[in-house]
Amino acid sequence: MDAIIIETIIKAIIVLSVIAALAGFGTFIERKVLAFMQRRLGPMHVGPFGLLQLAADGIKLFTKEDIIPQHANRLIFMIAPIITAATAFIALAAVPLLPEFTLFGYTVHPIVADLNVGILFILGAMASGLYGPLLAGMAQANKWGIIGSARTAILFMSYEVVTGLSLLAPIMLVGSLSLIDFNNAQSGGIGEWMVWQQPLAFILFLIAGFAETNRTPFDLLEHEAEVVSGYATEYSGMRWGMFFIGEYANMITIGFMASLIFFGGFNDLGFIPGFLAIILKVSFFFFLMLWVRASWPHVRPDQLMWLCWKVLMPIALLNVLITGLVMMV
Amino acid sequence: MSEITIKIDGREYKTQEGEYILNAARANDVFIPAICYLTRCSPTLACRICLVEADGKQVYACNAKVKEGMEVTVSTPNILKERRAIMEVYDVNHPLQCGVCDKSGECELQNYTLEIGVDSQSYSIPDTKRENTNWSSVLHYDAGLCIVCERCTTVCKDMIGDAAIKTGARGGEKLSKEAKDSMPKDAYAMWNKLQKSIIVPSNGTEHTNCSDCGECTAVCPVGALVSRDFVYSSNAWELERVPATCAHCSSGCQIYYEKKHTSIANPDEKIYRVTNEWNFVSLCGAGRFGYDFQNDVEGKDVEAFEQAINAFKKADTIKFNSAITNEEAFMLQLLKEKLGVKLINHDAKAFKDFLDSYSKASGSSLYGSDFREVMKSDFVISVGASLRNDNPNARYAFNNVQKMNKGAGLYFHPVGDMLVPTFGKSVEVFNHKVGQEEAVLYLILDLFGDKDKLPVQTKDYLASFHKTVKKTIKEKVMESVTSTVVDKETGESKEVTKKVPKMVDKEVEVDENGLVSILGGSDNFAETFEKMMKKKENFSLIIGEDLYFHPRARNLSRLVALIEDVCDMNLVMIPPRTNSLGVAMICNLDEEESGYIVGYNEHGHFRLGARGFSKLDIPALNQQEGTFVTMNKVVVPTNPALEYKGYELNDILNEFDIGLDETIDFTPKLARFDGFKDIEFDDLPNGYTNTGKENRGYIIDNISVEKQAVSVVEFNDSIVLEGEIAYRCNPQRQFNDFTDKSHQINEEFALYVSPSKAQTLEEEVEVEFDKDTTLKLKVVVDDRIDGDIVLVPDFKSHQNIYSIFGKDRYKTVTIKKG
Amino acid sequence: MGLEKFKDRNVGIQQYKVVEHEAFPKSNAQKFARVMKRMVKGELFVGLWVTLRTMYQALFQDDMHTVKYPFEKLPISPRYRAIHEMLRLLESGHYRCIGCGLCEKICISDCIKIDTKYDENQRKEVTEYTINFGRCIFCGYCAEVCPELAIVHGGRYETSSQQRASFSIFEDMLTPIDALSSQKEYPGFGAVSPNADDNIKKTPLAY
Ligand code: SF4
Ligand code: SF4
Ligand code: SF4
Ligand code: SF4
Ligand code: SF4
Ligand code: FES
Repeated sequence: MDAIIIETIIKAIIVLSVIAALAGFGTFIERKVLAFMQRRLGPMHVGPFGLLQLAADGIKLFTKEDIIPQHANRLIFMIAPIITAATAFIALAAVPLLPEFTLFGYTVHPIVADLNVGILFILGAMASGLYGPLLAGMAQANKWGIIGSARTAILFMSYEVVTGLSLLAPIMLVGSLSLIDFNNAQSGGIGEWMVWQQPLAFILFLIAGFAETNRTPFDLLEHEAEVVSGYATEYSGMRWGMFFIGEYANMITIGFMASLIFFGGFNDLGFIPGFLAIILKVSFFFFLMLWVRASWPHVRPDQLMWLCWKVLMPIALLNVLITGLVMMV
Repeated sequence: MSEITIKIDGREYKTQEGEYILNAARANDVFIPAICYLTRCSPTLACRICLVEADGKQVYACNAKVKEGMEVTVSTPNILKERRAIMEVYDVNHPLQCGVCDKSGECELQNYTLEIGVDSQSYSIPDTKRENTNWSSVLHYDAGLCIVCERCTTVCKDMIGDAAIKTGARGGEKLSKEAKDSMPKDAYAMWNKLQKSIIVPSNGTEHTNCSDCGECTAVCPVGALVSRDFVYSSNAWELERVPATCAHCSSGCQIYYEKKHTSIANPDEKIYRVTNEWNFVSLCGAGRFGYDFQNDVEGKDVEAFEQAINAFKKADTIKFNSAITNEEAFMLQLLKEKLGVKLINHDAKAFKDFLDSYSKASGSSLYGSDFREVMKSDFVISVGASLRNDNPNARYAFNNVQKMNKGAGLYFHPVGDMLVPTFGKSVEVFNHKVGQEEAVLYLILDLFGDKDKLPVQTKDYLASFHKTVKKTIKEKVMESVTSTVVDKETGESKEVTKKVPKMVDKEVEVDENGLVSILGGSDNFAETFEKMMKKKENFSLIIGEDLYFHPRARNLSRLVALIEDVCDMNLVMIPPRTNSLGVAMICNLDEEESGYIVGYNEHGHFRLGARGFSKLDIPALNQQEGTFVTMNKVVVPTNPALEYKGYELNDILNEFDIGLDETIDFTPKLARFDGFKDIEFDDLPNGYTNTGKENRGYIIDNISVEKQAVSVVEFNDSIVLEGEIAYRCNPQRQFNDFTDKSHQINEEFALYVSPSKAQTLEEEVEVEFDKDTTLKLKVVVDDRIDGDIVLVPDFKSHQNIYSIFGKDRYKTVTIKKG
Repeated sequence: MGLEKFKDRNVGIQQYKVVEHEAFPKSNAQKFARVMKRMVKGELFVGLWVTLRTMYQALFQDDMHTVKYPFEKLPISPRYRAIHEMLRLLESGHYRCIGCGLCEKICISDCIKIDTKYDENQRKEVTEYTINFGRCIFCGYCAEVCPELAIVHGGRYETSSQQRASFSIFEDMLTPIDALSSQKEYPGFGAVSPNADDNIKKTPLAY
């Protein structure tokens, strides 16, 4: 029992630190990719290829004054970013990140907690991440913050429906809520990938995933042309940084979920070993998010709602229905 | 002269008979191009651009006089062609250097070239090398830029009187025959003359050796004549003009201080030059070049101010001179009334006494005329003034009358002057003995007086000098001479009678005037005088400082009043210093100084002054607002050109609770004194109209006073000085501490002597007035002085020269080796 | 002769492209047609393709547009009015400015000041010349008015400064004497127009 606790703690720390680092690295990659797509160079002065820009930004964020505005609700203002960051990492707890491997004769399961309701847990944890932006926006006495948090509420709550419904069909097919089971269900090579059976579910999930991670084209919460910085308007320093880390951690989570549920997870891919395969897949999804950001304009709030309730949700329901019918036949 | 009507370009204008067309047009605001003409000087016809058509004939507007009903057309096609050709010719070979030229922006060549619209050149001729030269310590002549308009030579001759420059040979190439045939006539004539001449000093040397008045630089329409100090130091348009009044002598000329920042590094303002309305007023060297005498102080020196207040509290006497404004004089008078101190001012006191005595005899508070009238007269007499040194404008007037009005002049002065006789052919000079001024006035009475108006006693007295003498004169008679001539061929002798001229002595009876010989006049004065008097109708008498500082000043003043009364003459007096007249009218002056003396710009136990060496600084005259009374009896305003940061007299008055907010608040209050008016300072104009009418300040009322029955007494030779004589007289361009401070005025404080006298003296001498008073002075030769009298300047106040000379202007001295 | 020719200072060659705009749909039928067209065209993927292609070109085909500014500088158009330069005469190396003060006079923000004096060679010497760049609005009038082509706008466009007012003095602006050979005639504002000769009338000479 003790061993499990110790192992879990170690795993939690590793996941936390690696993903947090990756989130930071993500910002760098994002800047670079966006720059290249616009024929720019991106950060390049600090360290080789501007790599140390990360460190510079980190130092900046850590050392910046932690400003709490006069009329803000101090307590809520202070804990809101923590909620975002925490929920993002909590969600990661149920994600099997890599295939099992053996270290010094000890079999390591690279998942913090192999829950049998993994997907439900992840969705739940991510959904509760809604409280971060919501409370942050409301805690500050600032209209942009309020608008930002209102947008958060409608965005998250609406698209949670699409996410859930879109995953329902694959879950029905696999018959499990554990991501490891999903992985194992697709161990038979590319042909067995869920995406071939459920392309519609994948697309719906992807769209909803963009919305949940607050990425272009659905980045309404903090769209600077409209609401300055939305819920984050009055944040600075590390507190603001936590929102950022949360956002990037969520992007990684979505990347993992898409890979695990639809793209064969960490099964070996031909000559590519499983751990590399999943990293590549997650990387692709991460890149896709940046790519989309570089290419597409964002939608208006009314278009967002229209898309969710009038297009995506009916399609998702239809998909569940058809899947059920097909299974029954 | 009567008013007549003429038509210019179809419009009717009123003007004076005898006026030139150009002046008539100018007075009526009609523009006729003209370059070479100077108002108040004779037309030279050098430029020929003023060509107009009058009653169908082409005439030069600066030279042709208006006639009743004359119809003038300013431009006809032919005249336009001439003008364009003239301007093109002026531009031939004119250096393209407006960029650096000092005149750029106010250059008449630039202006007329643009006005006439010269946009291409049709003429050309090879250029002649013409050198830049410095004619004197102030004159810079750039022959390359000179357009030989002769304005400089004209003003120097007709106004200034030096005639120090003239046209000389240029050595330019001859104009071609085609030019003569193809060019407009007047343009050709102008070019022909231009191509032959440049301007050179008249004395044949490189240097003008003149009065250094700088008037030639003022009238030069181009950048050819510029003061050496100003060359390339500023562009004309950068300078801000402050209308003011020259602070140096009693002429009170209207001037403009032109100022801008000193340099990029130093934003403090600096006066760069002084300019004038040269058509209507002529400056002297002091006015033109003596402008940088401002008192630069850092700020208010509280300590010195307290000392000054204490000094005033314990003062018995305030001593000052007349280089101050009326307002300052008024304030000093107020201090006298409040503190009961004595006011001592040597120059004003002497002048005031003279004036007072004169008005008792004449019945009017001031002399009857002014220098504008003198300029209009055709016979001027100067008595008791060293014209060249005492007052430049008096001298210009004397000269101008000779040149412009075909006038005549009599100059009475003990000190010989080489310049005055050159003013005109009809100038007679009397170098009488010191002390004979009364005899001079008697002679004037005798020559010009209406004998019937004279008191019998005086008439008899004058008659006593006349005697009819038999005189042998040489006369030419024709005499018949008969001689026997032997014919060579025939051998016959023949009687031939020829008429040959022969001088014989003849006895005639002539009236000999004893006064003339007493005064050292020439033997044939009577004849000369007869010639001088031909066609003369307007007479003027100029009285100078020698008469105020004279042991018998009272008798002299009565004689002057008598002359004015019986001779029908314009009488003017030269106040000794800038504002002596104003001070004399305002201040209640005392005879003798005593006790603790506060010197205001003067020597004293405590000294306030506008020169650096005083205990408390006061503003100099180019840093003050205020008014002066000029010798023309006009109250004129002056404005500050430069900032002054320290205390002024008004601050002291305020300590005694008799001051006002501003110094100029005293201006309207001057009305308290007879003659002055209650007019605010800011309402006093300071300029000239197009007609040349002086529109400055206001004229003092000449008030009639009770006429007292006084009689003149006979002159007395006992006061005549013999031996070595010193005369209190400043060199030209030096008047006071302020001219002394100006960097361009370099006449030193020295003994000025004639060249012949200099030979008998060492380079430095000791002048002994009496046992205790000696002055050690350098000897400087002024080659325009003649005779043995030596000149001791008084412009440095701390030398206290006035006290040495006391109530006289001449003293017998002993000159010892220094 | 009119002034038009003098005023023609168009030294650059214009190469503008006009973008064609699609007409905005008016009727419902047109709107529908547009929706359909866009759906079939897959415009979203076109967008993705464009950015990806751009990235490829930027990374592998050397089509990166970034100028590493302080290390690399783009050449500036001669008509740009940057910090002034004072030129020298190529033959003698003497500064061209004659101190005429026209630039000082015309300067619209009154920021030029010149000190001059009469020197030993009887010439007008410019002892100091300053421009207060804190006030200069880079209007180019000074360059335009200068009769000597002495003051021109150079290529130094980095005008930020730590001080509120920054003055430039004569030496700062004057071509360094050792760089005289590389001094270029200024083609921009105030330069002699290419057809200047046609616009003047010749003065006859008698030599
Ligand atoms: S004199 Fe007049 S025209 Fe001649 S260079 Fe000077 S400013 Fe120009
Ligand atoms: S120096 Fe001047 S005023 Fe004299 S002739 Fe020449 S241009 Fe005329
Ligand atoms: S400075 Fe005066 S006196 Fe001398 S040349 Fe000029 S005008 Fe004549
Ligand atoms: S560019 Fe314009 S504002 Fe600047 S110095 Fe030249 S004239 Fe003055
Ligand atoms: S305009 Fe040209 S020549 Fe004249 S002062 Fe200015 S820079 Fe010098
Ligand atoms: S002004 Fe009359 S000729 Fe010159």
